Amino acid sequence: METGEKVNRGLKALGEKVLNSDQCTACGACLSLCPYLRSWKGRVVKLDNCNLEEGRCFAYCPRTEVDLDEVYRGFFGKSYEEIEMGPVRKIMMARAKDPIWTKKAQTGGVVSALIDFALREGVIQAGVLTPRDGDLLPQGKIITNRKAVLSCAGSSYVSGPTLEALNRGPWKGQERIGIVGLPCQALALARMKTSTLEKKTPIDRVDLVIGLFCTWALDYKPFMAFLYKRVSSLSIKKLNITPPPERILEVMAGKTLSRIPVDDIRPFIRPSCRVCLDMTAELSDISVGTVEGKEGWNTVIVRTAMGENLLKRAKKAGVIETRPLPKDNLSHLKEASLLKKRRALDALKEMGEIEKGYFTLSANLIKCILSESGETLP
Amino acid sequence: MSSISQNAPGKTVLLMGNEAIARGALEAGVKVCAAYPGNPSSEIIGTLAKVADELGLHVEWSVNEKVALEVATAASFAGLRGLCAMKQNGLNVASDFLLNLNLSGCRGGLVLVVADDPAGVSSSNEEDSRIFAKLGDLPLLEPANFQEAKEMTKSAFEISEQLGLPVLIRSVTRVSHARGNVCLDELPQSRPKPRFENSLRFHALPAVLNHKLLHEKLDRAKQMFEESPFNFYRGPEKPELMVATSGSGWMYSLEAMINLNVQERVGVLKLGTTWPLPESYVLEHLKKADRILFIEEVDPFLENNVKEIYAQNCLFLGLKAFFGKASKHIPDVGELNPEIVTHAIQNLIQVPYEPRPADYALRAHEAAAELIPARALSFCPGCPHRATYWAVKIALALDGRDGFVLGDIGCYSLGMGPSGFGQMRTLHAMGSGTGLACGFGQLNRFGLEQPVIAVCGDSTFYHAAMPALANAYYNGADFLLLLLDNSATAMTGFQPHPGTGSTATGKEAPVIDLKAICEVFGAHVEVVDPFDVAATVETLLRLLQEEKGVKVLILKRECALVSAKHQKRLYQVEVEQEHCLGETCGCNRFCTRIFKCPGLMWDKAAGKARIDEAICTGCGVCTRICPASAIRKEKA
Ligand SMILES: Cc1cc2nc3c(=O)[nH]c(=O)nc-3n(C[C@H](O)[C@H](O)[C@H](O)COP(=O)(O)OP(=O)(O)OC[C@H]3O[C@@H](n4cnc5c(N)ncnc54)[C@H](O)[C@@H]3O)c2cc1C
Ligand code: SF4
Ligand code: SF4
Ligand code: SF4
Repeated sequence: METGEKVNRGLKALGEKVLNSDQCTACGACLSLCPYLRSWKGRVVKLDNCNLEEGRCFAYCPRTEVDLDEVYRGFFGKSYEEIEMGPVRKIMMARAKDPIWTKKAQTGGVVSALIDFALREGVIQAGVLTPRDGDLLPQGKIITNRKAVLSCAGSSYVSGPTLEALNRGPWKGQERIGIVGLPCQALALARMKTSTLEKKTPIDRVDLVIGLFCTWALDYKPFMAFLYKRVSSLSIKKLNITPPPERILEVMAGKTLSRIPVDDIRPFIRPSCRVCLDMTAELSDISVGTVEGKEGWNTVIVRTAMGENLLKRAKKAGVIETRPLPKDNLSHLKEASLLKKRRALDALKEMGEIEKGYFTLSANLIKCILSESGETLP
Repeated sequence: MSSISQNAPGKTVLLMGNEAIARGALEAGVKVCAAYPGNPSSEIIGTLAKVADELGLHVEWSVNEKVALEVATAASFAGLRGLCAMKQNGLNVASDFLLNLNLSGCRGGLVLVVADDPAGVSSSNEEDSRIFAKLGDLPLLEPANFQEAKEMTKSAFEISEQLGLPVLIRSVTRVSHARGNVCLDELPQSRPKPRFENSLRFHALPAVLNHKLLHEKLDRAKQMFEESPFNFYRGPEKPELMVATSGSGWMYSLEAMINLNVQERVGVLKLGTTWPLPESYVLEHLKKADRILFIEEVDPFLENNVKEIYAQNCLFLGLKAFFGKASKHIPDVGELNPEIVTHAIQNLIQVPYEPRPADYALRAHEAAAELIPARALSFCPGCPHRATYWAVKIALALDGRDGFVLGDIGCYSLGMGPSGFGQMRTLHAMGSGTGLACGFGQLNRFGLEQPVIAVCGDSTFYHAAMPALANAYYNGADFLLLLLDNSATAMTGFQPHPGTGSTATGKEAPVIDLKAICEVFGAHVEVVDPFDVAATVETLLRLLQEEKGVKVLILKRECALVSAKHQKRLYQVEVEQEHCLGETCGCNRFCTRIFKCPGLMWDKAAGKARIDEAICTGCGVCTRICPASAIRKEKA
């Protein structure tokens, strides 16, 4: 970069580097901060330019220049070094005990049960979750009670602007906040937390981040157009992806279950997911996913003291039960996580140079990831 | 009592040019007056509407200029006197009828006043309507001051009756809108009874025969004009330079002569009957000088026609030099002023004159700016069009297919500027937005993927967009028409129209339901309140993405200026200073820099936005656009 030349780190750059380059994940971190950005049906759109040279939209976005070491130091107090799946304190299998959660939840209901427990225990006073409207469109929502938590249970494989709800409020001003989000959203939250720009968001009151495992998310509009050609009924109740090697998208619409091979929906994966490094939501207090071959159980990774404490209390209170994660599952998880990193690096290389990607990572780490990730997984 | 309806012969009153024209028509015993509003002509019929009941006239705002001329013509066919008024663009609309009416002729005095708008101050063009007189072989008069505006109108009715032809009067902004003393004559008390004589025929056909008869009438007009009091010469017998002028040019020329003190050297030939020109009279005066300068607004109409007469007679007249627009001594576009004329004369006869310094205009502007608050060309505070365009801008951005807006004529034409967020991409004639949309709406078969939106106001819809909408359905065009229903012809001064429930004279009228009309025309119609920006955006997106064919979205919200007259503010609006982000972060002064309602102002000292209590209409729209929710409203 030439010295003296002013580099834009505002809306202008966000438009060029992320929105117009189809790199937006629709996380919502940039929304409701200013009037110039809006989202609609999974797309984030810039309405106008503003002339700020440095803006929060750019600073919080998980697809602008991210110094991973800096963010990880800010969040964990150490650099980006555990390349397999980020800092891990504990890893286990778990599920919610109360059928109220397991009946409606995506997997084992751990996420919903933990948020509900944290609310009841006063660890947090509000949550930001992601309900879907009748048409599967995810959006962020502030919730404060069990009924609302329940209405958000289940996964939409479409990404949506959850974090907008955090920026938009309305907040009373004192509440401590818990958020459930995808890995890109966890990264955005960590960037918000560590940003030095003036903050007008309640990010400093976000005490709990529960991250969801994620391999990719779908682009809403083309995916829905495709889906409505396959399923007749308009009220889609649940989507589920069966574990490998089958990999089938199950769509529960009305009373009929349609089974669509995952390969058929791959064209609708958001381009921004192809360069995503993170499968296990590393920048969270607790990360939650499925367990291969163990239906109804979650994989749970505890990453921070806060997370560990909450999980311990939840277990003690009989909210969740845990079991050790079988060795095979653990090694598969690590392989899958590394493979995602590897694929992201490959994708970046295809697009130009890894060094010109949205994150900075030492050459050494890049080498490590490339050498340690096998190509054996499906 | 209005000064134009008083029967006080000999009394001098101060009248606006347009009022003087209206008074002239009254003194001529006019019975039927019709017009479509358009600046700078609107006050002619507006004034007459106010005295219609008192004087027993029929005065109407017609749906468009062609219908207006037809209404006035019917009176003439029935033996009454009829007046029609319009702006220059309106004559284009009326011309189809006019250019057949010239052939059929008329009976009772029929006068068509066209007020031109040099520089297009409140128009989309600065067309010179005089060319229509030549095109249609019709007599043309051009008033040069207020008294003459009245006298000419009166005499135009006489000429019309003598020739059996409609007579055109061409005014311009500075004649129509300025005020001056006018001495009144008597108002006739006669009550002629209309009757259509079945022995008469008003046919344009047979065209060639009628064309020949028309030329004979025009020859008679020429003869009449040889003696007209509206043509005169002022100046020395052998001037070094003769100024030939008409209309507003007369006053500019007089002022220029005084500026230069050259009354002894320069003569002025002032012509009021500019088509057909009184040939002998013109030749007579051409003999006086070898150098002739033409002063007229906008096109070289007089200039070319005088040159034509000269060319025909040059053998007798000898060599002459002509100056004007062709020679570039006078600008061939825009409005004239005394300074331009002074400069031209000074240039031609080399008199010392201290011209205005080059920066005069700038300094005058600055001096004026200290006295009057700065105002951008912008929608009024609380204007529903601002909210509409804001919603359109958002919807088109979210839609993401690069849709565009075809514009039309009305207040909402400002949609092309910052006040409408630059959304409007085309601007032509009344109703052209919808017409263009009919065409764009067919291009999808060639691969046009962009959504097509046309805008149109309620008055414009009745005027000229209805045929286009019928065409759209008939031919299967695919577009979205936004009907901006503010229940007023706001741009020209709130004249009523078929959707407002009252007539020109203030009587109750049946309301034509816009929604019902559009439905009858086969469109899918929905109605929203543009002040509900979120609902408007949602509806726009749904219509653009899910509906095919002709769609009409009626954006219903009364014009802010109209509602201010009969309704108190909806909300008390306030910018909460502690929440306003101001310049520091995020919004970057969004409300005053982009949204730009004049009710919002930037408090430099505080670095925050504020509501200007005196200006805010309390519409509350800005409370929904502030990202910090700093603008709050409370029911007023
Ligand atoms: C796009 C996406 C991709 C995923 N990919 C994988 C994967 O590859 N491997 C894997 O093991 N697990 C994946 N998951 C996670 C998995 O589907 C479950 O969410 C997880 O196992 C937690 O289960 P649960 O029963 O505890 O969740 P629940 O108790 O049902 O709670 C689910 C929570 O997820 C939130 N949520 C739902 N949809 C979204 C969304 N689109 N964006 C943000 N938050 C949302 C809701 O707010 C809700 O609180 C993915 C989830 C999503 C949303
Ligand atoms: S990735 Fe998130 S922060 Fe970045 S542009 Fe998209 S929505 Fe905004
Ligand atoms: S009132 Fe709102 S939009 Fe206006 S400057 Fe303040 S924060 Fe920005
Ligand atoms: S409420 Fe806001 S938008 Fe409406 S007039 Fe007042 S300042 Fe303008």
